[in-house]
Amino acid sequence: MADKILEVEDLSVEFATYGGTVKAVRGVSFDVNRGETLAIVGESGCGKSVTVQAIMGIIPMPPGKITGGTAKLNGENILGLPPKEANRFRGVEIGMIFQDPMTSLNPTMTIGDQISETLMVHRGMSYTDASRRAVELLDKTKIAEAAKRAKQYPFEFSGGMLQRAMIAQSLACNPSVLMADEPTTALDVTIQAQILELMAELQRTENMSIILITHDLAVVARMADQVAVMYAGQIVESGSVDDIFYRSSHPYTLGLKEAMPTNKRDGKKTLTPILGSPPDLFHPPTGCGYFARCPYAMAVCEHHQPEEHHLTDSDAEHQARCWLQHEGAPHIKALNQPGADQRD
Amino acid sequence: MLAYTLKRLLAGMITVWFIATATFMAMHMVPGDPLMNDKAVSAEIRKNLEVKYGLDKPVVEQYFIFMGNMLQGDFGISFTQQNRRVNDIIRDHFPVSATLGLLAIFFAATGGVIWGALTAIYRNRLPDIIIMFLVILGISVPSFVFAALGQLMLVNINSLLGFSLIPVAGWGTFSHMLMPSMVLGLGTMALLTRLMRSSMLEIVNEDYIKTAKAKGLSPMRIFFKHQLRNAILPVITILGPSIAAITTGGFVVELVFAIPGLGRYFVQAVQQLDYTVIMGTTVFFGAFLVLMVILVDIIYGFVDPRVRLQ
Repeated sequence: MADKILEVEDLSVEFATYGGTVKAVRGVSFDVNRGETLAIVGESGCGKSVTVQAIMGIIPMPPGKITGGTAKLNGENILGLPPKEANRFRGVEIGMIFQDPMTSLNPTMTIGDQISETLMVHRGMSYTDASRRAVELLDKTKIAEAAKRAKQYPFEFSGGMLQRAMIAQSLACNPSVLMADEPTTALDVTIQAQILELMAELQRTENMSIILITHDLAVVARMADQVAVMYAGQIVESGSVDDIFYRSSHPYTLGLKEAMPTNKRDGKKTLTPILGSPPDLFHPPTGCGYFARCPYAMAVCEHHQPEEHHLTDSDAEHQARCWLQHEGAPHIKALNQPGADQRD
Repeated sequence: MLAYTLKRLLAGMITVWFIATATFMAMHMVPGDPLMNDKAVSAEIRKNLEVKYGLDKPVVEQYFIFMGNMLQGDFGISFTQQNRRVNDIIRDHFPVSATLGLLAIFFAATGGVIWGALTAIYRNRLPDIIIMFLVILGISVPSFVFAALGQLMLVNINSLLGFSLIPVAGWGTFSHMLMPSMVLGLGTMALLTRLMRSSMLEIVNEDYIKTAKAKGLSPMRIFFKHQLRNAILPVITILGPSIAAITTGGFVVELVFAIPGLGRYFVQAVQQLDYTVIMGTTVFFGAFLVLMVILVDIIYGFVDPRVRLQ
């Protein structure tokens, strides 16, 4: 059994807005194993970022509100702690990097000072020691001339360099978990590859777990051990990366795969977008969130929330929240339905 | 940095030259001249005076004579105050105005930053609402009203105490300066408070504040080290023009508090068409303000690393 470092259970987050209450995250559960990467995939607005930011306690409250659930880091609940207690794990046990490195660093502080700040606050280091360590960290993230670079300001860095500096900053206290909220979305493709490479390498050397939020399945395939597919504030399918790609058991996962471009030149594959748009989370549907867009929707899906089906197709835990996994459901050829052969 | 400063100074000199030329032309377009006053002077005396002051020469020649003298730092002799050199008027009275103005700016800037930060912290709660109400008051009520109210308050305090704690008017000691500089800085303080508030609220939503939280920094540290410094930038930008507004706009306050500042001479000279004093005070004020704006820009470069290289 893998060593679980972070266990999230039934997390729910709401935002009170002028238009009403948005139920952004609706009962999300997942585990992160030590030294492994969990990718959370889904389209914009499905609650990926809110999920991890709620765990970190950095969603603005109000309007945000954590309405339920727990998040256990090494067995201790860290969800909804007041800032003083949350700061015992923020930046120490869990580091975080963000989507846009250009705006994620303070423009009026040098890179080195921003990194050493973390060390001074959490490790009680002196400014000189912390600055020296900051240079080492920049060096570790493969920033050339780290000593000189540490004295520069964010505007003197390129986007890829800034993301490296962000990673260096988040690694300052040797965290056991790194949360990466779309770390490569704002970067161009070649830089993306370098950043992912760096993250994978640091994961090996530092033995840390990564929660990688992305909407890019190519990134998932490259980086992830475990995958959670999110849709409309819920995890609709989760399992190992092979389960998700080769034994997709939720129509939404199938839809994402259909919409992903490949570089095969046989011309057989056409990109099929998922039609329609996600449901209004002001009034979340009573049934399956994917009902309106699902090509295989059944009558039961409209009003009845599908339960989580544990699939027995592999050793790892593979779950899908879909009525098609019910023993009475019809057999869909494109979909992985373990046990469906026996049903016919 | 040095090249930047020199470039700005050169541009500033051209600005001052424009100010001088425009003032000179405007002044001579106003009907009448400094020798026209209530007491009728005979044509002969008038002629002598015109020769003495050089008013008999064509305007263009007068302009060149004036500019030549100005370059040597000589603004000439006042028309209305017997044998008083304009340079002396400026030397005697400008330090008073400058002290008052800079003290007012100091009040306005510190007050604006503190109140603005407070309103942002207490956004939409009672302290915010109270301060923002006072800010609207400070912006819309003219300074002479505040000046009179301030004096009234001092009178009441002093008569309650039975001795003069803070003088109601006059000039000399530091306690003389307190009330007038506060009154003078009030409008600017209100403006800066509003600016600071909106800039603080903008920065709360910046990504790097989220980063700072994720780093596990305390709210106090985030506020002082990450929010405040970035929020102050727009306030510093507007400080240059604010110094302009305050030092030239000090006239009314100086009058109410009986302060011997330059503002009085500035206004009197225009009323009496005292050519040399108009030119002297205007050009001097102009040069002072241009210098202040340059100074603020240079200070800005130290606070915001992004502008240093340009």
